Amino acid sequence: MEFDFQHCIRCTICVANCPVSRVNPEFPGPKQAGPDAERFRSDDETSIDKWIRLCNQCKRCEVACPYGVNPAEIILREQVRYGGKHFRPLASRVFANNYWLGAVSSVIAPVVNSLSPMKFIKRLLNVFGISTYLPFPRFHVHTLSRSWRWKGRRRSQKKVVFFYGCFLNYNRPDLGRNIRDFLASLGLRVIMPGQVCCGLPALGNGDIETARKFARKNARILAGYIDRGYDVIYSCTSCGLALTQDYPGILDVPDGKKVSENSYNLHEYVLKLMEEHYIEPVFESFHRKVAYHIPCHLRALGIGYPAAKLFEKIPGLETHILEDNCCGLSGSYGFKRSNEETAVKLGIIAGHAIKDVDPDMLVSDCGACRMQLAHFSGISAVDPSEILIKSLKRETQ
Amino acid sequence: MSGTYDVVIIGGGMSGMMAAIALTDMGRKIAVVSRGDPVCCLSTGCIDVLANGNDPLEGIGSLPDNHPYHLVGKDAVKASLEMFKAVMSEEGGAYVGDAHANRRILTPLGRHKVTCLVPGTMEFADFHSDEYIHVISFNKMKDFYPNYITSNYKNAGCSIFDAGISTTIGIAERFENRQFLEGFISWLKGLDIPEGRIAIPAVLGMHFAVDVCNEISVELGRNVFEIPTLPPSMPGLRLFGALKNALLKRGVDLYWGKEIYSVEKSGSQIEAVTLAGAGRSARVQGNAFILATGSFVSGGLHASMDTARETVFDLPVYLPGKRKSWFNDDFFAPGHAIEKSGICVDQSFRPVDTEIDNLFVCGSILAFSEVMKYSCGHGIAIATGVAAANVCGEPV
Ligand SMILES: Cc1cc2nc3c(=O)[nH]c(=O)nc-3n(C[C@H](O)[C@H](O)[C@H](O)COP(=O)(O)OP(=O)(O)OC[C@H]3O[C@@H](n4cnc5c(N)ncnc54)[C@H](O)[C@@H]3O)c2cc1C
Ligand code: SF4
Ligand code: SF4
Repeated sequence: MEFDFQHCIRCTICVANCPVSRVNPEFPGPKQAGPDAERFRSDDETSIDKWIRLCNQCKRCEVACPYGVNPAEIILREQVRYGGKHFRPLASRVFANNYWLGAVSSVIAPVVNSLSPMKFIKRLLNVFGISTYLPFPRFHVHTLSRSWRWKGRRRSQKKVVFFYGCFLNYNRPDLGRNIRDFLASLGLRVIMPGQVCCGLPALGNGDIETARKFARKNARILAGYIDRGYDVIYSCTSCGLALTQDYPGILDVPDGKKVSENSYNLHEYVLKLMEEHYIEPVFESFHRKVAYHIPCHLRALGIGYPAAKLFEKIPGLETHILEDNCCGLSGSYGFKRSNEETAVKLGIIAGHAIKDVDPDMLVSDCGACRMQLAHFSGISAVDPSEILIKSLKRETQ
Repeated sequence: MSGTYDVVIIGGGMSGMMAAIALTDMGRKIAVVSRGDPVCCLSTGCIDVLANGNDPLEGIGSLPDNHPYHLVGKDAVKASLEMFKAVMSEEGGAYVGDAHANRRILTPLGRHKVTCLVPGTMEFADFHSDEYIHVISFNKMKDFYPNYITSNYKNAGCSIFDAGISTTIGIAERFENRQFLEGFISWLKGLDIPEGRIAIPAVLGMHFAVDVCNEISVELGRNVFEIPTLPPSMPGLRLFGALKNALLKRGVDLYWGKEIYSVEKSGSQIEAVTLAGAGRSARVQGNAFILATGSFVSGGLHASMDTARETVFDLPVYLPGKRKSWFNDDFFAPGHAIEKSGICVDQSFRPVDTEIDNLFVCGSILAFSEVMKYSCGHGIAIATGVAAANVCGEPV
């Protein structure tokens, strides 16, 4: 809503939830950067404050605000306007186009994988404003987009398209293929159509035009399937947020609403199949204690924690939900030198919370959270679907 | 069935969270749906039960007949407060106090607030005015002026520490750091503070303030306590964090940050609520529902010019007459009539004058609770939350 900011009663609840202003005094926090400053902005006067870029779009302020103000969205719109008027650093430009970066890196994956850990390459990246405190994710030649695009019987009652997103495509194609096969094993017809980046990285780096270009293309492809009775499944929670909230919202692309209304989180969809008695799975035991770090964007989706509900059904699995911390990496945010200090501080806080649980493994739906938190907790991280697939393995055979 | 909860609680405030805890302890499967974080985050974290007299539980007898405390009864109020204390101890944020005794704690304005149960960090906040008190503040700390306090006490002193950051949360964050805490303690030791108590604004850490407070007490050999601050209020935030954690541990499913978009009914039963989202709405299905959405300030009630409505189920709202009778002429005089408004319920916490019979109401949205007038905010929320849970969790 356009005048959301006028509902703000200045209660500071959002401020108490903002990870960035908690550790970085340069960022005044969601209340000031959002509704407070909005009063002084007009159509032809954008923010003059550089700190507008410091918000990492975790959306925790929006989830917390009891009065329906959307500080993160107010800030995002301003980041976009600021990005349009001011010079965008090279790192922002690179990460806005992470899709192409991934595409190129995967073609020459062995070269990239062996170069990226090298010292002089790291130093070179630092010069360009790219931070290297985390090892770069590994790239693969056999991406998802080059994998078999369909699975399951054509006559299946239910048909789904899998929107896998860049991380699975370039960095975890093995997991993507497992999810595809898993869905087919539930009696679904699964298609992985050609697709591009969801657009969120471009939006987060202040480049709304690129974001909209990607979104328009995806929406056209997905809407085509939806019209033929398919549901859309995503597993990356940030892709999910883009599909369900930004396509009909800030990106406002044709068919955005249709995509939004027909897209499901992977685990949400499995629960739905169970409720409809389409499947009656038997969960095999998995004796582990896991710390489940809830990604900020899963919270922002407002669908509860569907994977946690499935975990409850797995005998032997002990789940500790941790939902109060942002991992700090926030997609490409922490890969920028200017944000490195914030990202590291937040990573340490979230890492401590995980270590306090003393788990056998760490679980999170978001690839970026997993990279960051495996690093800061020293505990290996998996996607919730990996546990689910293991527990239901009888069916996938 | 994976989809139907025994009870869906709407509103994640003190009353909704306590109801959820009581119900899970009875073995029920619960979901809590909340538009946002509750007003307890803004509170002092202290549990006001009833401010009239020294014994809040005995004071209940003198309340008007229609006050919701009477629906609960003195003994059950006490039991619910004990339950609250037990949960807080489990979560590492132990509360002190006796349900039969009010205490007076120091406020940032140098005055006193009457309350009942307090966080461990405020155990020593009730002191005799002859005693020496040393106030610590932080360089440029927002909204905290030690002079308000020192000018009210003839026997008081003040020192200012530079934490390198001026926001409440920023300072609290630093207290989580061992080195910072040690630096602070050695600075305090160097001050040579006279015999007496040390008062520090409530910034002693995000989560484990009791431990921090105790450590300072031991190192300095003085009683140390926290003074609640204006929001962001750390004791309020810690209280919310601890209760939310208790819910997560009990396997309560949380649906946070979205408004209720629609309600599905069948005959006299509510079957499900759906949450507003940009796309397809998430649907939460339950056998029974508890409404704990708070009063006007939290959005459970919404007032327009001459009327008020309940925002989720559109239940009938009791209002004290026309708008001109809502407010006192003197703004600061306690007991504006509008505070009486809310939902009227029967003995079983079901709303009156509705067809619905699987809905229960608790917390500050209840008519005649008059939270400000009687200073019974968290008390009434805890007591009615647990009481409503007990009724609705009974096997039919
Ligand atoms: C600034 C302030 C300070 C206070 N300080 C103290 C104190 O120090 N000690 C004390 O004892 N009391 C204090 N009180 C009073 C006390 O906080 C409240 O009376 C009490 O906590 C109310 O609890 P509740 O559960 O009834 O409602 P709330 O805590 O208000 O919770 C209601 C919840 O419902 C949600 N909600 C509202 N509408 C909807 C909807 N349509 N759909 C979904 N969710 C919805 C809200 O987001 C909120 O989370 C204070 C109150 C205020 C305003
Ligand atoms: S944006 Fe919302 S949470 Fe933040 S100060 Fe305003 S009303 Fe409070
Ligand atoms: S989106 Fe996250 S980082 Fe940005 S203002 Fe809100 S809480 Fe802070």
